[in-house]
Amino acid sequence: MIASSPTSPAERNQLSGSSAEQRLTYRPNVDVATCDDILVLIADIPGSSASAIDVQVEDGVLSIDAAVPARSLPGTAVRREYGIGGYQRSFQIGADFDASQTAATYRNGVLTIRVPRLAAEQPRTIPITAG
Amino acid sequence: MQLLRVGYAHPLEDLRDEMDRLWNSLTTAPPLHGWTRQSAKEAFPAINLFETAETVVLEAELPGIDPDALEITTLGDEVTLKGHRDEPDVLSQDTPTENTATPTWHRRERGIGEFVRRLSLPTLIDPEDVEARLQDGVLTVTCPKAAACRPRKVTVTST
Repeated sequence: MIASSPTSPAERNQLSGSSAEQRLTYRPNVDVATCDDILVLIADIPGSSASAIDVQVEDGVLSIDAAVPARSLPGTAVRREYGIGGYQRSFQIGADFDASQTAATYRNGVLTIRVPRLAAEQPRTIPITAG
Repeated sequence: MQLLRVGYAHPLEDLRDEMDRLWNSLTTAPPLHGWTRQSAKEAFPAINLFETAETVVLEAELPGIDPDALEITTLGDEVTLKGHRDEPDVLSQDTPTENTATPTWHRRERGIGEFVRRLSLPTLIDPEDVEARLQDGVLTVTCPKAAACRPRKVTVTST
């Protein structure tokens, strides 16, 4: 039902010599669940901020685009196990969800997006007349 | 019949473990270090380390980990990061509390569980003044170098 887009941005943990200048884009780890007719997406996006994250739902595709400002630590690098850059990812969620009701929160480096399902049509009872 | 020496694992045991792991990866959250072998357990979190004349600065990405769930200890030139990340809270705070619906997972990539990472720093540090800050899922630990390990300027006198 919920498919990740086939984009393949730079591999996480792939390090280059001058990563301070080079802006890489990473693919965040994401949990997806549905609960009570609400679609919940949880993404690890450390080092960003609420104002730097852009979440859009368009044509059944939910996309996350998060900017992460460069962090300058003093001195010389002794060990580099990860690079710093923005995060991008998109998901096909289909037309069953109400994009206008999308809510997103950012806390502790984790982005949580909730999209409620469109109100289902009420089941119709068809009266049967005897004739 | 094939005889196996004591202490040698049967090759099929490995296969079974792999199959278990594959199955688990479809139904449960991964451990924090990902679906890799247990030996990689020490590899979370990834760490960047910087050094100045006065300090050693350690940075790690720990999204979704509360400061209360994190324990940092130092000993000599070693820093240990220990903590855990719990199941994500899927039910929002604005849904009624009596709502006890269980979530149906479609994708689980964010690891949960415990981690311990021990790291040797380039020099001895002064444990009294170590400062740690966790903001937006990024941990920064600033460790002042021990006095004996800081560069000292030697004045040259002429006679």
